[in-house]
Amino acid sequence: MSKALIIDDEQQMRRLLRMVLESRGYEIYEAADGPLGLQEAAFHRPDVILLDLGLPSMSGIEVLKRLREWSDVPVLILSVRDQENVKVEALECGADDYVTKPFGTAELLARLTVIQRRRFTRQNPEIIVGKLRLDLLHHEASLNAEQVKLTPTEFALIKVLAEHAGRIVTQNQIVRLVWPGQQTDQSEGLRVHINHLRKKIGASGPQIINEPGIGYRLESEGEG
Amino acid sequence: MSTFTQPTSTEKKPVSAEVVGQFSWGITLIFALASTCWVLLPYTGYMFAALVFLLAIVLAGVSWNRGPVLTMAVMSALVWNFIFIPPQFTLHIDKPQDVIMFALFFIVAMSMGHLITRLRKREESLAQHHREREQLLAAKHRAELLAESERLHRTLLDSISHELKTPIAIIRTALDGLDEGNPFAAEIDTANRRLQRIVENFLEMTRVESDALKPNLEWCEIGDVLHAATTPLQRDIAQHPLVITGADPLPLFMLDSRLLAQALRNVLHNAILYTPAATPVEIHVALENNLLQIRVRDHGHGFPLESVDQLFDKFYRAPDSPAGGTGLGLAISRGLMRAMKGDIEAQNHPEGGAEFTLHLPVQFRQA
Repeated sequence: MSKALIIDDEQQMRRLLRMVLESRGYEIYEAADGPLGLQEAAFHRPDVILLDLGLPSMSGIEVLKRLREWSDVPVLILSVRDQENVKVEALECGADDYVTKPFGTAELLARLTVIQRRRFTRQNPEIIVGKLRLDLLHHEASLNAEQVKLTPTEFALIKVLAEHAGRIVTQNQIVRLVWPGQQTDQSEGLRVHINHLRKKIGASGPQIINEPGIGYRLESEGEG
Repeated sequence: MSTFTQPTSTEKKPVSAEVVGQFSWGITLIFALASTCWVLLPYTGYMFAALVFLLAIVLAGVSWNRGPVLTMAVMSALVWNFIFIPPQFTLHIDKPQDVIMFALFFIVAMSMGHLITRLRKREESLAQHHREREQLLAAKHRAELLAESERLHRTLLDSISHELKTPIAIIRTALDGLDEGNPFAAEIDTANRRLQRIVENFLEMTRVESDALKPNLEWCEIGDVLHAATTPLQRDIAQHPLVITGADPLPLFMLDSRLLAQALRNVLHNAILYTPAATPVEIHVALENNLLQIRVRDHGHGFPLESVDQLFDKFYRAPDSPAGGTGLGLAISRGLMRAMKGDIEAQNHPEGGAEFTLHLPVQFRQA
């Protein structure tokens, strides 16, 4: 049974999330503010944390930063809309994904499932996302068992997205992983390569979704 | 031809009327003092005249420019020599001590004039400096106040946003827990979504009207903008076939895709709300010179011609509007487009239906 920790100052929200998640077999812990949340996280070692960004006393970002000093537990951000810059900051501070309030239960559960999936390990030299298969050994990509010709940059890019399949990756994160050590602004290059990748993958493969002002998400199975 | 009428340029610093006045006053003063001392000469001796001249130079230095003051110094030395130092009415000096006196007078007069005018200059520049500093401080204070009020505004907006959206979010989550077939739940859901849209519109309108809205430019594809604009409308748009043309071969654009998507979303939402079900909504994207144009055309009844000017006004609602709108959508779209240095226009299409054009000056780059 997975353990989930809910850090939200709204009691009603916590109660509802508890009901929703308990019905899916989660064991729930709650905290009403940041410091309590950190204590609970240390004490109960949850498998996933739902963190509200608008907390009193200690901001959600601060909680996340302190949590990341000692834990890599998956964190799902709960936020209200119009906080794009805060969302980006949270993602770059180590949050795994976010849902925007008001959210549907289905969306929440889907995001939780995706971020709890074992993070990609190097023991298996291939990544499969829907009909797309990446062979990391030979740097080859195939769609429906047919090979897709990708340039090295495109391969690096789709690899980053596929490793995070179903999860949002910010532009900065992508640029850091695909063009390591480069100082220049690569956002234009990123767009161009995404454009090429979309054309090569086409409509039958997993779609690369842009979230304006934030980054990209490669649709994983079961979505869209 | 008419160089005379040109205003004197401040850079060249021509001799101003004020300085000319100082020169003439200076010379007049010297002669007036010389005559006075001449009258008093039998009682005071010729050294007295020298001291009077020095006093005049010091006083002149306090308020006059350096040129007139130094001229006075030279003049008074000559006058003193010519009129007062024996032998009188020659520039010749008999006694060696008078030669020394004359030289000393000359040096003292010149240096006094010079020093005093310099002191005054320095005082003036100090005062000027002081004024500038005060002005800077005042400007800084104003900027701080402005930033503070902006911060306050934003905090207020954030907390109101949080307070209003939290109950809506709770209702939404709670509804998801109810049986899907419950018709009452479906009604609450519809009302809740309407409430959510109203709250978001009000908050967005406030944001658009304050200066808190700053476009965040980045390279983006128009397809992503269209996707972001239409995805939140999926529930409503299902009844209207969406026809998108012109988007495919377009280059990358430098723009704030979130703001543009939102402006477009409101226009689309409007088109869906005001047209009969199953009529298509067409989006045509084009790039003309540096102007990105997005045309949204519907196949409804269009709008009454007399209301064209009011369409984008806050709270304006067309006479036959269905319930559920706030009359803010198009006002927000216009605010967003203008915040990005673009604009939005409306017209009735000659073949029926309304047509909205969003246009925006953009930088672009072939992908």
